[in-house]
Amino acid sequence: MTPEAFARSILEQRRIAVCVGCGGVGKTTVAAAIGVEAARRGRRVLVMTIDPARRLADALGVGALGNEPRAVDPEVLARLGVPEGGALSAMMLDMKRTFDDLVTRFAESDAARDRILENPIYQHASDALAGSVEYSAMEKVYELCQREDYDLVVVDTPPAQHALDFLEAPERLLEFLDSRLVQLLIHPAMAAGRFGFRLFQRGTRRALQLIERISGIGFLEDISEFLLAFEGMSEGFRSRATQVRQLLLGSDSAFILVTGVGSEAAKQSLEFLDRLESFHVPLEGVVANRVHRWPGAGPVPDAARIAPEDEVEALRTALAVDAGPDEGFPADAAARAAIAAANGYAALVRREEREMRALAQRTNAARRFWSAVPELPKDVHDLQGLEQVARHVFRGGEEAGGPGDPDATSGARAGGTLGEAAAD
Amino acid sequence: MVSSPSTIPSRSLLDRRLVIVTGKGGTGKTTVVAALALGAARAGRRVLGVEMERGEHLHRLLEPGSAPVGYEGRDVAPNLRLMRIDPFEALAEYLALQVGVRSVVDLVMRNRGFRQLMMAAPGWRELIILGKVWHLEQMRDASGDPLYDLIVVDAPATGHGVTFLDVPRVVVSAVRTGPLRRNAELVEGMIEDAERTLLLPVSLAEELPTRETAELVERLRNGVGIPLDRVVVNAVTEPPFPAGVEDLDLRLARLPSDARLGGLPAPAVLAECASHLRARFELNREYEAEIGERTGLPVLRLPFLFEGAGTPEAIARLADALLGTREAAAA
Repeated sequence: MTPEAFARSILEQRRIAVCVGCGGVGKTTVAAAIGVEAARRGRRVLVMTIDPARRLADALGVGALGNEPRAVDPEVLARLGVPEGGALSAMMLDMKRTFDDLVTRFAESDAARDRILENPIYQHASDALAGSVEYSAMEKVYELCQREDYDLVVVDTPPAQHALDFLEAPERLLEFLDSRLVQLLIHPAMAAGRFGFRLFQRGTRRALQLIERISGIGFLEDISEFLLAFEGMSEGFRSRATQVRQLLLGSDSAFILVTGVGSEAAKQSLEFLDRLESFHVPLEGVVANRVHRWPGAGPVPDAARIAPEDEVEALRTALAVDAGPDEGFPADAAARAAIAAANGYAALVRREEREMRALAQRTNAARRFWSAVPELPKDVHDLQGLEQVARHVFRGGEEAGGPGDPDATSGARAGGTLGEAAAD
Repeated sequence: MVSSPSTIPSRSLLDRRLVIVTGKGGTGKTTVVAALALGAARAGRRVLGVEMERGEHLHRLLEPGSAPVGYEGRDVAPNLRLMRIDPFEALAEYLALQVGVRSVVDLVMRNRGFRQLMMAAPGWRELIILGKVWHLEQMRDASGDPLYDLIVVDAPATGHGVTFLDVPRVVVSAVRTGPLRRNAELVEGMIEDAERTLLLPVSLAEELPTRETAELVERLRNGVGIPLDRVVVNAVTEPPFPAGVEDLDLRLARLPSDARLGGLPAPAVLAECASHLRARFELNREYEAEIGERTGLPVLRLPFLFEGAGTPEAIARLADALLGTREAAAA
């Protein structure tokens, strides 16, 4: 498949695109850029972000919290090449509030709902409860997909370590609620004696005794009240969780790994790929972000080297001629600094190329969507900037300078190298 | 390496017993943990580096190619030991201390219901890990001296990092009596003790990390009472050009495109490399100043390394920068 065919499949045929990756790699920016590109292709798109940079949030019109989508001004979109019928909305997800909404929806009664929302353990801990917050983000995605207002929902996820909790969380939560120990905490009266230790196997009995001994009795009571309130939710929650999971892992959604190319970022992405596979997440594409490219034609010079004295001399002379009759101009220092800068930059480019080859090999790049976005001179915080990123992600940076643009050439070369690496 | 000697607190990082390092993902917090641990060990301190989450790479930075460290720990350099605190292992150890009978604890730990409860239950992981850190800090050798002069903890990334430090306080306010409360009080006492403890935030001089660092410091000041005295700003591009040639990139761009420079890249390529460096340098300076302003804390600057921070040589270089040892040796 050509890159364009992959892009078309993701942007024009799916209903959900999930951007995953480690922290600090520009996931939010890439997610927003994907949204812009899909809107340019005539789709009605919602970008759901979690923690955007303020100026990016302002650009998308989601500067204020609200937990509801807001549409980007159609006139602004038209200027970016979004055709009639295409639309872009964005929302900033308030995870805690989404989880509260979930409780409200599935609680057996108003009294049960209030009991949960007002429970001190819920208030302190709902954001730590076994990935429930990450899960609730995905639940929101499901709800938005059901609304039929959007053709494509692009999701920006929390950093890697917690990103996949949403896949595991509902099951863990339900298993937990069903467990004997929890049942015992919820229904202490069902057995003789407080907490009915006698009815249960030795391990469970000991466990409860131990918890009670260490935590104190009040704590167990708060916990059991909290769990009791949750119990009534579990049926609605269970069937819903199954639907959410099917939607996310089904053929309507595409997972895209966003990665940095610094040595640690690349290593973390490699480890993250293992986790993705263990969850059977179908990885559709990889976007390597903030890649440095060698500005010259041809490959980056091989090894960092101190330029021989005669080359320093040539540059020194050229700079001195340029400086004119300035007696004090430090031509020698300037020449050496220029060479050091080039050597340093070349070392950086070489290191990143190495990391990218490793990533390409590991992700079997030839069979996936793969693209590299160059480091841009400025932080991206407006829609034009996003459109520029989108151009690099999906169109190999075309229009950036035209066919003779050195950027475009080096982009094509990087693609070729990746293909070869993957074919090995 | 430091922005200006007068702004950095006179008290060395080495004078603490416990340094907890946090920062937004991608800022290099683990690199800073490795550099601090290595620098302190080379300065003759007995150091313990602590990993918390699976998939961290502290051991790899200090001992390339090595297997992950476990709960039992491993010496990776003279005076330097690493361990990973797994919450379940720490829990088993803690319960054994409470109960006194390991076999009972093993029975409980194997119980399926108990494991399910613990898998889903919030908060205890943080508390048990901090409790273990407290325990390690209390350990003494045969002559009664602390077993470790310095414990460096690679804490979770910022958002989770704050939750992590807040757990003892929440427990103290939510649990009325019993060993859990007493233990939480001990941990809270350690976290808030300015003599022993320091939280070291790591940032990059870029937009998002700057904002997140400012928010972190604000939240810590309003909530967790952990001592703060500086912010590490990592990967800051050093002044790229000599004095008087601050516009070197423009000068290079002006050179005739057919200038003969021997084996050097063409003037336009040299100009692009120089211009990239200058842009980064200027961006870094701007955000570094903003970090200082918004946090009100002195900034400790670590240099950007072109060859990457993933090698032992790079870690050693950063250790010098972090502890000012190179300057100290020169003076």
